[in-house]
Amino acid sequence: MQTKFTEAQLKDPAIKRSNEVLRTCVHCGFCTATCPTYQVLGDELDSPRGRIYLIKDMLENNRPADEKTVKHIDRCLSCLACMSTCPSGVHYMHLVDHAREYIENTYKRPFMDRTIRWMLARILPYPDRFRLALRGAKLAKPFKGVMPGPVKAMLDLAPAELPPPSLNDRPQVFPAMGERVKRVALMTGCAQKALNTDINDATIRILQRHGCEVVVAQGAGCCGALTHHMGKSTESHAAAAKNIRAWMREIGNGGLDAIVINTSGCGTTVKDYGHMFRNDVLAGDAATVSALAKDISEVLSDLNLQVSEAPDLRVAYHAACSLQHGQQIKFAPKTLLKNAGFTVLEPKDPHLCCGSAGTYNIMQPEISGQLKERKVKTLEAVQPQVIAAGNIGCMMQIGSGTAVPVVHTVELLDWATGGPKPRKLQSL
Amino acid sequence: MEMPVPNQDIITKKQHLVRRFQAVLPDEAVIHEIAETLAYECDALTAYRCPPLVAVLPGTTEEVSAVLKICHEEGVPVVPRGAGTSLAGGSLPTADSVILGVSRMSDVLETDYENRFIRVQTGRTNLSVTGAVEEHSFFYAPDPSSQLACAIAGNIAMNSGGAHCLKYGVTTNNLLGVTMVMMDGEIVEIGGAHLDAGGLDLLGVICGSEGQLGIVTEATLRILRKPEAARPILMGFDSNEVAGACVSDIIKAGILPVAIEFMDRPCIRATDDFCGAGYPDVEALLIVEVEGSDQEIADQLGRITEIAEKHNPAELRVSKSDEESAKIWAGRKAAFGAMGKINDYMCLDGTIPVNELPYVLRRIGELSKQYGLDVANVFHAGDGNMHPLILFDANKPGDLETCEEMGAEILKVCVEVGGCLTGEHGVGVEKRDLMLHQYNADDLEAQLKIKDAFDPAWLLNPAKVFPLKISESRRAA
Amino acid sequence: MNPSNETELAGVVKAAASKGRRLRIRGGGTRSRLGRPVEADEILSTTGLTGISLYEPGALTIVAAAGTPLAEIKATLNAEGQRLPFEPMDHRGLLGSEGEPTIGSVVACNISGPRRIQAGACRDSLIGVRFVDGQGTVLKNGGRVMKNVTGYDLVKLMAGSYGTLGVLTEVAFKVLPKPEACGVVLIQGLDDRAAVKAMSAAVGSPYDVTGAAHLPVGVDGDPVTMIRVEGFEASVTYRGGKLRDLLASYGDISIESDPAKTEAGWAHVRDVAPFHDREGDVWRVSVKPSDGPDLIGAMRDAGQSADVIYDWSGGLIWVLTPEGTDIRPHCPAGHATLIRASEETKNRLPVFQPQVEVLERISRDLREKFDPKNILNPGLMG
Repeated sequence: MQTKFTEAQLKDPAIKRSNEVLRTCVHCGFCTATCPTYQVLGDELDSPRGRIYLIKDMLENNRPADEKTVKHIDRCLSCLACMSTCPSGVHYMHLVDHAREYIENTYKRPFMDRTIRWMLARILPYPDRFRLALRGAKLAKPFKGVMPGPVKAMLDLAPAELPPPSLNDRPQVFPAMGERVKRVALMTGCAQKALNTDINDATIRILQRHGCEVVVAQGAGCCGALTHHMGKSTESHAAAAKNIRAWMREIGNGGLDAIVINTSGCGTTVKDYGHMFRNDVLAGDAATVSALAKDISEVLSDLNLQVSEAPDLRVAYHAACSLQHGQQIKFAPKTLLKNAGFTVLEPKDPHLCCGSAGTYNIMQPEISGQLKERKVKTLEAVQPQVIAAGNIGCMMQIGSGTAVPVVHTVELLDWATGGPKPRKLQSL
Repeated sequence: MEMPVPNQDIITKKQHLVRRFQAVLPDEAVIHEIAETLAYECDALTAYRCPPLVAVLPGTTEEVSAVLKICHEEGVPVVPRGAGTSLAGGSLPTADSVILGVSRMSDVLETDYENRFIRVQTGRTNLSVTGAVEEHSFFYAPDPSSQLACAIAGNIAMNSGGAHCLKYGVTTNNLLGVTMVMMDGEIVEIGGAHLDAGGLDLLGVICGSEGQLGIVTEATLRILRKPEAARPILMGFDSNEVAGACVSDIIKAGILPVAIEFMDRPCIRATDDFCGAGYPDVEALLIVEVEGSDQEIADQLGRITEIAEKHNPAELRVSKSDEESAKIWAGRKAAFGAMGKINDYMCLDGTIPVNELPYVLRRIGELSKQYGLDVANVFHAGDGNMHPLILFDANKPGDLETCEEMGAEILKVCVEVGGCLTGEHGVGVEKRDLMLHQYNADDLEAQLKIKDAFDPAWLLNPAKVFPLKISESRRAA
Repeated sequence: MNPSNETELAGVVKAAASKGRRLRIRGGGTRSRLGRPVEADEILSTTGLTGISLYEPGALTIVAAAGTPLAEIKATLNAEGQRLPFEPMDHRGLLGSEGEPTIGSVVACNISGPRRIQAGACRDSLIGVRFVDGQGTVLKNGGRVMKNVTGYDLVKLMAGSYGTLGVLTEVAFKVLPKPEACGVVLIQGLDDRAAVKAMSAAVGSPYDVTGAAHLPVGVDGDPVTMIRVEGFEASVTYRGGKLRDLLASYGDISIESDPAKTEAGWAHVRDVAPFHDREGDVWRVSVKPSDGPDLIGAMRDAGQSADVIYDWSGGLIWVLTPEGTDIRPHCPAGHATLIRASEETKNRLPVFQPQVEVLERISRDLREKFDPKNILNPGLMG
């Protein structure tokens, strides 16, 4: 597609990259077909192609973001289904990330909006604060009727019960059982630590049993995705930089074969550190970290899992967008589950997002709700006994709409290879 | 590309029009701020652009009728839009026009397997029509490469084809009936679940009329039972000409594959990167698909292989699994988009008699040298529908103009050998000014009369299909 | 008048237009009784325009002058192992006419046969036309390639316009290879409802059925349902067997594959042979197939005598009624065309199914625009 940037504009590395992305787009419209918001709203402006146009115009004219542009960019889930569909290889993620940062810098959001974003950015990435907030939410639930949309959505999402903090999530080293075949770092995450401690526990167990020494690195924390997707690049880069330094220290200490991530939303971001820091002094280290970052399903695929018990269960696999589109991991989790003896079922339209998308279900409760409803309907249609997903956000979102238990893929794999039966499945 | 001078009187009353639309449509369905109308300034032909005055997205046939009634009363041109995937600029707006998009109308209204039809709202995408019936092993046959995204509305407007129309025909052969809104807002049903009822074949004229006769909001489409199986074979050749000769021989031998697709080297490479189908490293590739039971498929492939071998193929490879077949087709269908990785392109759509393939491919090669622009070829060889993609750099001054000139020359070659300007994409604005190469003024006058009968005020998509000079007096009146 | 080429023919029409002389367009004259009665001053014959101007078997294309005998086209295609896909009906037996049908009349009346359900109608195979409009102007639309969306599709409009928009001078078709073998699955003794269900199951199967017809009164007096498959020998055997299994629950099934017999059987259906020597009017009713038996049932319940033949899997019903009866009040769901009746009846009852006002208006407008002096087959379509 033709672009109209001046030489001066192109000197800005962010603009230069966006120009490259825009130039590959041929405006064919394939992306509209798999975009969840276009499915729901039917307006070109709420499709990747429309958003690309809005971003292009905003950047080319170097004008501050306007309300309408912001509205349509905000509605984007960043599910990246468009990137799976795009035959021209348009890197929509880099473009929309740039746009979000640009909006954050040039647009003053209404007071409520700003407050909620500020709050989310200061709470979610910090497990202790988040845990406290969730307890408060429990008390506030009776008053949700009088709260504005996003606050109501937050209260709706707050789970009724919270696990106590897991000791496993503290910095330490878990030795490999038997001969050590790999040394890996586990990213323990942020919100996940507060919401569900079983996932990391299962991950550590299965890795240990299969000969991995698992390191929880001192100083590593939130990946930065939450703030990154709000365009708050100062915060997100600070979080990312902390992680890069923490893992580089571990590489220096005993080497790392992989950085294991079991929350695919974070995985997509960590794998993009190389791009985020391409013009930074940390560029080299960031690229090293990105190259080592692996989803748990990728790591397990290399380990030749020892199945000890083949549970005869009908598992509906929900493909998290960050996994299937963001990281293009489409088959590994399904193959692992099948090989472990589960009957794996796939819902119709597996490419569509469940509407979780980080903080999207808080900021855009209506669209998110419609997507949740669709996703739950298609999942329930295959009549599963359990739903498996590789991302805590999806698990919470889907779990809030169905009575079918939702677990992390790694919990099932851990169980099938000698670990305990997942708590949520005790009744089965 | 010349477009009519916008009518300032209409532009002046924009706010008035917006208010009238808002009175009959939900707020979000009326798009009028400059920042937003911009996204509707073009379809998949980005060389020509102009934001519309307003874009409206009605959700029902009645809302479409209400909008058209207003536009009719106010004398405002209406440009219909399906999914905006036209490669011919079929939904390119003018500054004084209203874009009427049907993207919000995507419901399935009725499926009837006993009588083999489906009735859908026309904003539904082509592929999701098949999606709605595939659980019962049925499908909707026309399969344009953009079928993932393109809407039935646009398919009907352009009489879209696809890879498999050698056997199953194009849209017009699979369209049984429509609900259409006339420019004055009247809602009319034409055809239905029955066939060939007698009387003038108005349905046949509406299909392919590029949104100039009415806005089709619902369609009754023929659905077919899926064959037991289908399998493509890949055949690689050392030259385009030999591949072309092989196509002709297969057809002459009395075998009718459901599809014969052709790709040349530049296209093969670009698409294989996207789909990972493992296309062979050859000058010219044919994808030939046959259908039936496993034994029937084996029989037909045996006959085809025998013919191909007489042409010394560099490679013959039968797909071994459904997954492999899906990849082979995914690549072919994404071919246009995949070329976008290399450069901007203009996609042509001329059809030629199949026996002229070798000659025309050679001429295209010569023109490519003459104009200094690369061409990739990917097309439906079985029916002679060519798709030369001329690569150019949209950011390089003068390149588009050179590309346009070269495109016109290629299309003239198509007409010279007995073919036509467009086989399935439609005339739109892109080929509008070449119409006089295929038809004389009398021939075109006959077509204008059709529009006169359906849309006497010439408000529906008025600046398309016909050279502006020819339609000028009617549009002005 | 019998011009020998297109230019002469255009001259004749132009002269007629200037004098306001009404023309009856005529090919072989075998279908002259179709449509409403025409009042004309002169007969304009197209039989002087003959000859196949282009036949390219490798491109599956044939182009011929409109007056070319259908038999010549068929023989030429046959020599290369090809055929017209849509199996045009021969009207001579039904209408009691004589002469040689021309390819132009097939197009002008959009004549198709049993294969219509699989291969499309005449209009679907037609890819190009040349014609002379009511002012003597020579026009063309479409061409000689099978995919063509350059401008409006007047090709479709001309098919079935009965010469009221223009006089066809040249027609071009997409043709298809003629299959090696043909097999017909025969089911005996079904009532109409069961027959339509069986046919629907057959055409809704993956076995590529190219004909599905039901004769409530077969040649031996009993009902027979016919399902046709065509293709390579082995394939026909295979599909025939599969269909036999699929339809086993419907009744006694046999398979006929003798070429002479299968051809004669389908010609019988195609040409509506059972009504050839019968008194009465013949209607052609287009319906949604599953509506057919109910429609006929309702007609009989209303005391209307009606013999019927189902073709197109039940989507086309030929109805034989006592002279002068109007079947339309009894079949609201059908789209009925009166094919054979006295002039008196055809003047009294609409020959073509009446349409809603706006479509009537557009059709009338189109005829006026293409034939402003109303000299081409005036009144034939209304």
